[in-house]
Formats: sequence, C-alpha cells, structure tokens
Amino acid sequence: MINSDSLALLKTGDKTLFSILVRDHHRALIALATPIVGTSEAEEVVQIAWGKAYNAIAAFEGKSQIRTWLSRIVINEAKMQLRARKKETLFSDLGSTDSDSDLLEDRFSQNGHWETPPANWHYDSPEALLMGDDLAKCLERILTAMPSNQRAILEMRDSSELPFKEICNNLSISASNARVLLHRARAHLFKLVDHYQETGEC
Amino acid sequence: MLKCREVVNEADQFLSYDLSRSRQWRFKFHLLMCKHCARYIRQFQALKNATPFMHPKASDKEVTRVMDSIDDQAPSL
Repeated sequence: MINSDSLALLKTGDKTLFSILVRDHHRALIALATPIVGTSEAEEVVQIAWGKAYNAIAAFEGKSQIRTWLSRIVINEAKMQLRARKKETLFSDLGSTDSDSDLLEDRFSQNGHWETPPANWHYDSPEALLMGDDLAKCLERILTAMPSNQRAILEMRDSSELPFKEICNNLSISASNARVLLHRARAHLFKLVDHYQETGEC
Repeated sequence: MLKCREVVNEADQFLSYDLSRSRQWRFKFHLLMCKHCARYIRQFQALKNATPFMHPKASDKEVTRVMDSIDDQAPSL
C-alpha cells in the first residue's frame, strides 16, 4: 500500500514503488474497464492506462485517492477505445433499470417492514468482510453475472470512489437511474454477504 | 414512522446527508426504534467500506507484464 511518505518517491518515477501500485490496483482497474469495453479488451485498455499513469504520476496532487485518479485514466482510455470503434454508448443497457429486480424486496412484508431481517455479521476489519477464498469465488461469480450497467456503477462508485455526479456525467444517465442501479448492485453484494455470514456458504 | 423498506432504499442518501433535514430526522428516529434497520445501516456502511478491497491483488506475472510494457512504451521521467 502506498502511503504519503512514499508518494513523493513514487512521483519521481520509482519503478519499485510503481509496481506496488500495479499490484494493489490492477485487478480493480480491469474490473472497472470490463463492463465498459468488454472482457476481451479490458486488459489492453488497462495496460495502456498504466503507461499513461506512469508518465503522468509526477502531476498527481494527492487530492483524491490514488485508485480514483487511476480510475479516471482507465475510464478515459476505455472511452477512447469505444470512440475508435465508433460505439456511441458504453453499454446497450446503460440507462435501463428493467433488467433486474430489487433483490431485497422479498425480505419485507407487505406493510414494508422486515420479514427476514439481516443476519448478525462477524468480521475483524472492513477489508476482511469481502475476503476469504470461498467468498471471493462467489463474489467473482456474482459480479460476472451482474448486468453491466449495475456493475459499472458499483465499480465506479464503491470500488473507485468516484463522485456520484462525475459518474452520472461519465455515463450520461440521470441521478435517479444511477441510484436505482447502484442500489440493486449493492443489494446483490449485501445478499451474498448476509447469506455467507449466516450459513458459511454461498 | 418510515417503513423499513424506505430506510433500505434511502440508506446511501442518509449516510451522505443527502436527505432533507426533516427526512434525516425521521430516519434517525426510525433507527432508534428499529434494531433491524440500525443493524442494516451498520452493515451497509461496512460493506461500502469493504468494497474497494473486493478485488484481489495482481499476481507477479501480471505485475511483470505491466511493468515490461511500461518499459517498452513510456519515456523515462
């Protein structure tokens, strides 16, 4: 993990530190690019973005998280790839909120109160909540099966921590649509973790 | 009183102080009265905090591939 002390050295172009950055964020950036350009091109997009990030690292001011800064470079690169392929929209289902229902809906009674409340969760740290080999495999499966518009917003907002307004502008969708998509994506994760915490399997 | 379903649907706006002041108070009142929703909000926040860590670190092979391609294409600083 890069801390503020090592950031100054990183900005001088230190390749050992830069490789730590790559190790920490590469998979997350591929996950970010995947719903935008597709699995087959995501790796190439991220590869190019790393080159651009290395050349621009001296200009990183530390005003945002480094993941957020890297994510912006990847999104710009992904959009350039789409333009090169003359694709106008990122995904065919971009603004649609029809492709999936609210997964937590069946947890409520007709009067709108909990019928099946959340289980008790046990975890040692925030990072630990989504770790564990069994859970990681299920998580990967759920992310792959998630509608691409939901996944894109989940990756941009909760993994890359981009501001909500910027995501709406990036994807040219309304705030209300984005909120519905994000809510549904989080419901997928919530249901997975809740079930895993209760039963030890997923 | 708010319904639990409304609390779940508006959890993100509540935590971002994005609701009107009166809605924010009604939300807080509901959380004082409803242990299930109070737990949901705690877990929702924990899940949000955990999401940046949901992707595993890259393997040595992946790191080497990226660093090699930087060596190939990027001018040194």
